[in-house]
Amino acid sequence: MTPEPRSSSASSAQRDQALVEAVRRKDRKATAEFVRLYADAVFAYVRARVRPNEADADDLAQEVFLAAYQHMDGYRGESSLRAWILGIARHKVEDYYRARVHVSELEDAGVIVAGDLQLDAALDEHRTRERAMAVLDRLPESDRVLLKWRYWDGKRTAQIAAALGRTDKAVERMLARAREHFRRHWLERQP
Amino acid sequence: MSKLIGIEQLIASSAVTGEEPGVRASSRLKSRIYSRLVQEQAAGGPLLSLSETKASGRPLCVFEELVRIAPVGESAKRRNYCRVCHARIAGEHLERAPIYWAHCPYVRFQNR
Repeated sequence: MTPEPRSSSASSAQRDQALVEAVRRKDRKATAEFVRLYADAVFAYVRARVRPNEADADDLAQEVFLAAYQHMDGYRGESSLRAWILGIARHKVEDYYRARVHVSELEDAGVIVAGDLQLDAALDEHRTRERAMAVLDRLPESDRVLLKWRYWDGKRTAQIAAALGRTDKAVERMLARAREHFRRHWLERQP
Repeated sequence: MSKLIGIEQLIASSAVTGEEPGVRASSRLKSRIYSRLVQEQAAGGPLLSLSETKASGRPLCVFEELVRIAPVGESAKRRNYCRVCHARIAGEHLERAPIYWAHCPYVRFQNR
């Protein structure tokens, strides 16, 4: 990847800082520009993580912008404004996940080991990915959220356990059960 | 022919690591977000006056311009006039709303 010319990244940083200062001054046109510049990115980020709950994506995107405005005095220009607001989106998505993992379902007896899957070699990467996303969409919300939290956002079991206030073992059991549900749904959709 | 794949690898391969490509927020959502932000700003005290907004290089819509040049005090120019404008109502409720005023934020949010 070609590094951005210094003058270009410096002027981007200045533009970001100027926009933040204008929004903080309650310049309504700057506020509109802020929404126009970043609404698509924020919405696309949260939607991928909350689908198929489309309405939740709208609400969450709005919460991200509100939180961004409320914490704008914390923007120091250390990252781009885009990266900063997507960081806020990441936190809001984690809050969303936390609220949707049903901890009471943790106390299943026994350990479930989900087996591997036989994949049709003719199924290309794109179709495999589309099918995996469709299977995720069909899972119970708690399973879906947990799998995305672990395998999309790369959170370790210990981190998820800490966020939920549970033991690592309990979360491992939940993940194993979610993987097994995924496997069963995947096999149900075999062409 | 088939190949064996671990469930974890399969789920991870479906990951949208950043933003879902090709996805855009609806113009209604952008309009509602903007309205909510300005409401939040106004709740904490007056907005930047229309005179100062224009002086900082950001053009006003025709209705705001009328208020800016009207013989009223600066405090009147710090109010949120979008709140009573039809463009806001249309923008918040209709995709491709039939609004075309220059320099109107709700027009700029239209995904045209």
